[in-house]
Amino acid sequence: MIHTKNLTKEYDGFRAVDNLNLKVEKGQIYGFLGPNGAGKTTTILMLLGILKPTEGEIYIMGESLSKNPLDIKRRIGVVSEKQYLYKDMTAWEYLNFFADLYGVKNKEKRIDELLSAVNLIDVKDRKLGAFSRGMQQKLGFTRALLHDPDLLLLDEPVSGLDPTGIKQIRDLIEKENKKGRTVFISSHLLSEVEKLCSKVAIINKGKLLAEDSMDNLRRKLTDFVQIEVELTEVSKDILDTLRAFDFIKEIHQEKNVLTLKVTTDKDHRADISKAIAQKGGVVLGIKTLGMSLEEAFITITQKNISLLAAS
Amino acid sequence: MSNRELSLSIRSMKILTKRELLSSLYGWGIYGAMFVSFLVSSFIIRNFLKGIGENNIFISSYPLNFPLFISVIVISLYLVIVSAVSISREREQGTLEVLFYGPVSSSSFLLGKYFTDMILYFIITGFSLIYFFGVSLLTNLGFTPILLKAYLLSIFIASCVISFGLFISSLTGRVRSSIIWIIGILIAFLVIWFLQNIFLYFPPEVLSPPLRYVQKALSVAYYFINWISPFSYLSRGMESIQLGSPKPFLLNILYSIIYTVVLLSLSVYILKAKGVRI
Repeated sequence: MIHTKNLTKEYDGFRAVDNLNLKVEKGQIYGFLGPNGAGKTTTILMLLGILKPTEGEIYIMGESLSKNPLDIKRRIGVVSEKQYLYKDMTAWEYLNFFADLYGVKNKEKRIDELLSAVNLIDVKDRKLGAFSRGMQQKLGFTRALLHDPDLLLLDEPVSGLDPTGIKQIRDLIEKENKKGRTVFISSHLLSEVEKLCSKVAIINKGKLLAEDSMDNLRRKLTDFVQIEVELTEVSKDILDTLRAFDFIKEIHQEKNVLTLKVTTDKDHRADISKAIAQKGGVVLGIKTLGMSLEEAFITITQKNISLLAAS
Repeated sequence: MSNRELSLSIRSMKILTKRELLSSLYGWGIYGAMFVSFLVSSFIIRNFLKGIGENNIFISSYPLNFPLFISVIVISLYLVIVSAVSISREREQGTLEVLFYGPVSSSSFLLGKYFTDMILYFIITGFSLIYFFGVSLLTNLGFTPILLKAYLLSIFIASCVISFGLFISSLTGRVRSSIIWIIGILIAFLVIWFLQNIFLYFPPEVLSPPLRYVQKALSVAYYFINWISPFSYLSRGMESIQLGSPKPFLLNILYSIIYTVVLLSLSVYILKAKGVRI
């Protein structure tokens, strides 16, 4: 869906984005992360054709952005951190204008449908100057979805929203993704990204440091992971069987819950479950207590570790 | 540019023009400018009539040309300000960036602004024709074909004025700086024109060497202003109408078209280079 080849942007000799190679597959929710000044916004502006790259190529939906910018942009929906609105317009007039610009068919029905989805239908005739930050953000989302885009490009989409608003937008993103839309999100709210994204990219100082699924990132960043297993009963037989595994380095028991420190060479949950079942144990729950995205992000960006060579 | 890109560009230009036009028509600016221009013209016509009343004579082949000339200047001042803030306002508010997220190119955006202001001028011209026709009926001052010729010329002058305003606007990031720039430039043009006219009274041999240098510098500046200032095209055009010869009239129209194309192309280039953010 998005493919950048050696994407570079220089400002007076300073490389804001340095040989960036991103690959976003169709249908993914892709998180694009980096500390302030990492080059995220510059990258997004290049993906939107607003900034011209110094070097490199951008392909969106298989087409070169430099060759067909308008046709490609017509199929992208964008939500930026701050909503820039025509304050003299009402919500309905604003969406009607953008519906015309994107050539939306059955625009009246589509506008009402989307305004209802974000609970703004009751204020559709209110001037945008009177909209709160949260309402503006939701309206921006509505504008981005208006033309049924194949790709959603979201830059801090939940910025300024209260928890209810965040949940509404998160649900909307998931719903749109289930319809087959690819979503590219840049956000500082790592917990949100972790909940939503199937793949994340981390950039720092303009360079791509990691691009992988969350599980793979965890595996690459730590040698061990903790797996918590809840059983109906923990027998000595079960404990002995688990101790016999090479990949289990430590076992900690608290009543019927076992916390196992295991190596990250592969996902061992199936082996553990099978072994417990063979010894007559019943597994009530099994989960990986891995590194959070926030911890992974801090580890990668502070130490400037590149995980690309290993991928 | 492929056919698909061209058709998207044309469509977005039309939609932007429609939005801008509606926004201007719902505002008070255009009506205010028309009111002031007709007020000034009425004042001049009243003085004509007063003169006729006092002297029982008024010799002029084209009595309504001068009031129309003044009316066009007032409208041009309105248009130059409106066009000068049009891009910088969108840049300052951030709406320019949102437009460029979609199928809008620098040229479609700029031409959208240009055509909006041109259509506004056509609307103003419609009202102006009614006004001057009414004045002619009421006062017996001749509504001549020459006046229609002046109207035709004024369309090209408006085009120069609008492209000049858009050019200044493409260079600036804020409404305030656009207004300061446009007023500053127009005042500078006026000051140079005024000083040049004063120096014309003095032959070079009576001036001291530094003043002779100033006189020469002013004359060079004046020469350039004649081509840079959109208002020079207005005064030259009106002169060509008075002369009655078609050649200078048509040449002036041709220069106005070239002026418009050059400034609009430069504005598109600057908009692309400067970007959508302040």
